[in-house]
Amino acid sequence: MSYSQRESPILGTLCERLVQDQYGELAARVFSIFARYGRQTLAALTRASYLNGRQIKHGLVVLIQQHLIFHSSADPRATSYEVDWAQAYALVRYGKISVLVENRMGKEAANVVSNLLSLGHTRVADLKEAYFPSHKASAANGEANGLANGAVAGPKANGVKLNGTTPKTNGAVEIPSELDDAKLAVATLTNGDAPTENGTANGTPEMNGNKKRPISEATKSNGIESKEAKTSQEAQMVDGANEIKSVDDLERVLERLIDRGWVVQVDETHYLSPGDAHILAREQVMDESYQGSLPSGTKAKEMMNQQILERKREIRDDALKKPHFVASKRAAPDNSPPQANKRTKLNNGETAIAIPGMVPAQPTSQSQDRIVLRVNLEKVAVAMRTDALVRLVEQRLGHVTAECYKIMLYHLERHIPRCWDELEGEIVPFNADLTDPRFRTTSQNVAKKLDRKIDVFEGLDPATVVKEVGRNSKVDSKNRVHPPLHPHKISLDIKAKIVDKHINMLAEDPLRFVTWVSRNGVNEWTVQFDEISKAFVQAEIEKTIEARKGPLGVKLVRALKKKGKLDERQTSIAMMMSATEIRGVVNDLAVQGYVQTQEIPKVDRREAKLTMIYTWYDIQRAREKLLHDTYKGMVRILQRLEFESKQRETLLRKAERSDVVGNETKWLSKFELEKLKEWRDIEEKLLLQLEREDEVVAVVRDFVRPMLSI
Amino acid sequence: MASAIRDGEPTTAEERANNLYQKGSEAPQGTIFFQRDLHNMQVAESLADLLNLIGILVGQHLFKPMTFENEPCWEVRSRDEADKLRRLTPDERLLYHHIEQVGSEGVWSKALRNRTNVTQQVMNKCLKNLESKELVQSVMSVKFPNRKMYLLKHLIPSEDIAGGPWQSDGEFDAPLIEIVTSLIHQYVEKETSVHVPGDWNDWVAHDRAAAIAKKRTQVQVSDIEDTPLPSYRPPRSRSHFVPRADPRYPTIQSIRKFIVDSNIIRERKVRDEDIEQLLDVMVLEGRLEKMKGKSYRTPPGTKNTDSFNGFVDAPCGTCPVFDQCMDEGPISARTCVYFGEWLGTESDVIHRVVSF
Ligand code: SF4
Repeated sequence: MSYSQRESPILGTLCERLVQDQYGELAARVFSIFARYGRQTLAALTRASYLNGRQIKHGLVVLIQQHLIFHSSADPRATSYEVDWAQAYALVRYGKISVLVENRMGKEAANVVSNLLSLGHTRVADLKEAYFPSHKASAANGEANGLANGAVAGPKANGVKLNGTTPKTNGAVEIPSELDDAKLAVATLTNGDAPTENGTANGTPEMNGNKKRPISEATKSNGIESKEAKTSQEAQMVDGANEIKSVDDLERVLERLIDRGWVVQVDETHYLSPGDAHILAREQVMDESYQGSLPSGTKAKEMMNQQILERKREIRDDALKKPHFVASKRAAPDNSPPQANKRTKLNNGETAIAIPGMVPAQPTSQSQDRIVLRVNLEKVAVAMRTDALVRLVEQRLGHVTAECYKIMLYHLERHIPRCWDELEGEIVPFNADLTDPRFRTTSQNVAKKLDRKIDVFEGLDPATVVKEVGRNSKVDSKNRVHPPLHPHKISLDIKAKIVDKHINMLAEDPLRFVTWVSRNGVNEWTVQFDEISKAFVQAEIEKTIEARKGPLGVKLVRALKKKGKLDERQTSIAMMMSATEIRGVVNDLAVQGYVQTQEIPKVDRREAKLTMIYTWYDIQRAREKLLHDTYKGMVRILQRLEFESKQRETLLRKAERSDVVGNETKWLSKFELEKLKEWRDIEEKLLLQLEREDEVVAVVRDFVRPMLSI
Repeated sequence: MASAIRDGEPTTAEERANNLYQKGSEAPQGTIFFQRDLHNMQVAESLADLLNLIGILVGQHLFKPMTFENEPCWEVRSRDEADKLRRLTPDERLLYHHIEQVGSEGVWSKALRNRTNVTQQVMNKCLKNLESKELVQSVMSVKFPNRKMYLLKHLIPSEDIAGGPWQSDGEFDAPLIEIVTSLIHQYVEKETSVHVPGDWNDWVAHDRAAAIAKKRTQVQVSDIEDTPLPSYRPPRSRSHFVPRADPRYPTIQSIRKFIVDSNIIRERKVRDEDIEQLLDVMVLEGRLEKMKGKSYRTPPGTKNTDSFNGFVDAPCGTCPVFDQCMDEGPISARTCVYFGEWLGTESDVIHRVVSF
């Protein structure tokens, strides 16, 4: 089974809460049935639930819209539905995703991404419409939209999408026909509610509202209303700086997002669960190469498995191909001039991207409008890996070295679609291909892009600095430089040399943050992510153990990792400590599931004295345990958040009232304001912690493939 | 035989035996002689004579009889040792033989009794005598901490029972280990990193601000509005260690030399393996990092001890009742005292129904 689809009950609980927070009670209830019972047909779903058919269909449509549920009609009798765990968990990352994009590509891009996230799958036309509502409205939106009075507000943008009636190959969202009635109904429902909630909406692009919170809502009443409440709150957060000003702007931003792999085209295969995708690939392979029947013989079967895997890869990569998407009018060059050159260099099948000046046939704006887009979660993990690595380097080697590393990683990251490939045939690490220039960078490059305010001398041995920049300075016995050297008055060449020293520290490090590759006598660098990511998983486990059991626990785990399975005496020798000192930690960590123990009686009686106790450490097991524990920790945080908000229900209700929002000082008493501030602090603390727990999840789950157990 | 005839001196068996012993002890200590080796020494007159001579020497404990792959062989004992042995009681001698056989591995007293079948009292008495005569020694086993192992006095107990220089009486010598490891740490730190003060390159103060201040005092002008803005300088870090520009990464050998030269371990020999054992542990403890080619450095950066990761920094991550905590019920997020403390809020009080 696909790695990402191996859910555990605790993940189910976590995702159910996330769904509830984002999409309300109804969607959460439907979701929870899938989480508990697994793959279901509509009929089975209805049987398993107290909800009536209409409610279920509504819930289901919302879930499908947000890609939280896979569906497959492979069996013509009944469509099956199944949770997309990766997407469901990713709800907790939505806030983070726009921050990641903002740091790399600016506020406009972040804004578009955050809207794509809140809308789910979106047709380009609908996105345009949401930003720049045309008051004629109906051209793109089909007849059902007659009910809506123009797609002005956020919730209505949802409605618009649901009503897409374009054929399935390019339709906005592919929803099984058995849910057709619900589609309409949901649309009506949403639209019907909208006017009351959006009285303040005024046709300006509210979509520019920028979500900063990890879970983009501060309030939690239940049901669908909370969604509206949230969106109207967003409307208050319009920020002029990140506004998309024209359709051209939007297209330009989309083009960049697609080019860098943050946004991908939705393909019908994306609706298939990994299991269904497997069946599809299997059938195709069987039909094409084996006349529709299973081959006999282990060799032939093995061969077929390889072919299936390959086919799955093809299907996936086809779907991820960059669509013919070209901003209709080229805007002034964006802030990354080398981009144009780089693109011309690509020759590896990424055919469909814009090459300035030599676009053969401009796709018509209409066909372009029909493309359905979504945010690519695999890319998100790549970006989170970059950030995590930069944090690690900052802690080990200092701020400036970390900044240099960040520039290198940002550069490499653009061309990395995912952290590891589940569909890789044999287990070959996904490492940067050393011969591919896109995965290399030079110190000149880094020096050029480094923020000019940064003091590049910081974090280096003063002797190095004096040697490179020298002039008349000397290092004294206390390692002070006299006279001091000014870091901002050096040539780019010198700066590159200094940067090279930082990069050298990265390369020297036992964790091998960068790897040297030389070409034409120029020092070039690349990053071998797999090895670092493994070390990263280990480091995260060690930090957990250190917090719980102190340095002794870490020492034990490292000793076991190095030496394998040990009995008490061997453990004591490996750690150079008496066995009695170690015993307690072994027990505690065994109970917590981070080390494994095994008792082997030396005689056939079971006596403590005559029993050998072996202890060992299995990184994959510890990794899964930590992941599981972290999920649980996240659930507890959300539960506490709910509890804390319930404690303040009356106050929060009042503060959420539309006449109060924005006019708090006018309507709330001093005491209430104080309490409200207190609540915001609590909420922020909890949500921040949630985000940090998600970072642990990213490290232990997303950066590197499952590791072989010993 | 040949030799006796050649020497032309008729000798007594005693003298010949003495001769044989002499030749045997010329070989390096611990050499094992087979019959043909002794025969080749050309001391005995005939094979029968040779066996006779060997018999005499064994009787005087000057030769120690052994077998190697079912072939009889002998080893030479010192006269001293032989003297002592001659004065032993039969029981003592029996025990001595068994102890001798195990060499530096030592033998556990209980195993010794099983093999020799003497009573506990006799054994205790004999072993005591043997120890007081400085023929055998006893050490506590490292492998089985409550076993007393016996071996010959002049032997150095094997690693297996005595451990290396870092152990004494079967226990790791924690104070000694601490002293040596901190010395190593200092040494490696000095070789691989430099300590840099926070203001190591004080470019704003000296480059501009100081110069300006100086100039101002000279010119006697103190018009604040004229003061140019100092250029931006990011906040200075505190003093810290950075990797050396020209690191001399110490190796096992150089560290051993450093420790031997420092003279802190006098009684015992410190081998490369012993140092490596210590270095391995220091790596486990995160005090050293292994570089390429078996060299070492001290880890750069400062260790943050109040923040670990997102999970354990939250109350649940280190919660003692984590596994008992449920979605609802007496131990849950809403009743949690740890969360209450962490957030500074009140938790639900559970009113339990007393049902017993
Ligand atoms: S909620 Fe409280 S009791 Fe439960 S695991 Fe977390 S800290 Fe422990």
